[in-house]
Amino acid sequence: MKISKTLLGAILVGVAVQTTASSCTKKDKDVIKPQSEMQANEQPAPQNSDPACCPACGMG
Amino acid sequence: MPEIRSAIACNLDADILSASLPLLEEERVEAMEWSFDTLFKVKEVPGWFEELLDVFSKEGRLIGHGVFFSLFSGKWLPEQQEWLQHLRNLSKRYSFDHVTEHFGFMTGADFHHGAPLSIPYTASTLAIGRDRLARIYDACGCPVGLENLAFSYSLDEVKRHGTFLEELIIPINGFIILDLHNLYCQLHNFDMTFDDLIKLYPLDRVREIHISGGSWELSALDSKRRIRRDTHDDTVPAEVLHLLQQTIPLCPQLRYVVMEQLGAGLNTPESRKGFYHDFVKMQEIVSTFNQKEALVKINTFLPVILPVLNGAIEDKELYKQQLLLSDILETSTSYNEALSRLNNSAIAHSAWNIEAWQPYMVETALAIAQKWKRKEG
Repeated sequence: MKISKTLLGAILVGVAVQTTASSCTKKDKDVIKPQSEMQANEQPAPQNSDPACCPACGMG
Repeated sequence: MPEIRSAIACNLDADILSASLPLLEEERVEAMEWSFDTLFKVKEVPGWFEELLDVFSKEGRLIGHGVFFSLFSGKWLPEQQEWLQHLRNLSKRYSFDHVTEHFGFMTGADFHHGAPLSIPYTASTLAIGRDRLARIYDACGCPVGLENLAFSYSLDEVKRHGTFLEELIIPINGFIILDLHNLYCQLHNFDMTFDDLIKLYPLDRVREIHISGGSWELSALDSKRRIRRDTHDDTVPAEVLHLLQQTIPLCPQLRYVVMEQLGAGLNTPESRKGFYHDFVKMQEIVSTFNQKEALVKINTFLPVILPVLNGAIEDKELYKQQLLLSDILETSTSYNEALSRLNNSAIAHSAWNIEAWQPYMVETALAIAQKWKRKEG
């Protein structure tokens, strides 16, 4: 399927501007909070550095 | 056979997205599977991720894969009601081609910790499972499926799993995700052949196949035994790709083949290259079957008779047993302690049939429960 270049670019920026927070971390302080000065397209994707987090299957 | 779509399991995870980008850029990804209930800690989903979901949704190529519903919890929990409401809301926002969940009940002290473990195959668990699947359909209004479990306690359970899955989904005309890495785990862990095991599954109800990697663990109880674990943190073994080649022609209703890998296993350039190459190999296998025409009546996997929902079916005794089992597995400091506690517990000499559990699988259940339990601090 075709994904537009604009969207691909936004994804690339999003994963490049990454934090150490995880989308399923147990600590509230690590929850991603949107930064008001960031454009919506620059919101980061969380990087999961803990293999025990973010199961999304793989729990066997 | 309908056209089979090559898909990735993708989520709001920098490593998964980074690994997926080359495939997206090359227009190779034909569908996307999204574990929609794993973003519970994310306060705001970035607009670009929503747009990515929209792209696949608008083409009818977005599929939902739940993780935390805990289909077989003996008690109906407020968190399950919230999960259904979340799914209902998302189903208005996105068009899911289908929605699936995992077989099992979740260990863990709260809704977002723990791992799925198996349950006794009884009239009670059958009723609970059917009730919950009907509720999932009611929330999403699209075909609903269930994934086979990697973990089993005994060979008898392995042999009965396919039949029990079929009995669960029949009332809603549901379907199966046949996870071939999960099958691979069982082939190894219980010394079965593919031919003997695959015929025990309702292959005419397989709408989705999963492939992934995993890991090996040595058993402390038997130094000669390696346990195959479904950890999703490595490349897809060649044996699993071979299983894919063997299995596709047996599944006349197959629609999606999905490759899964955790972000934690995709944080190096090498692992991301491996992800790319695995997907290309998977897609090549799928495409050979897409070129073959076959006349088959398509099953929509929508209910023929709409389910009627009354009060949620519960089994309070089962729930107590699940809590007890979870506690034993999460807190025992050794296999011997776990075994002693199990044998002296209320689940001894019950439908759980713990007396038939293979010791190395009890050992594995301990490892699984303690890996995924809520950590203090």
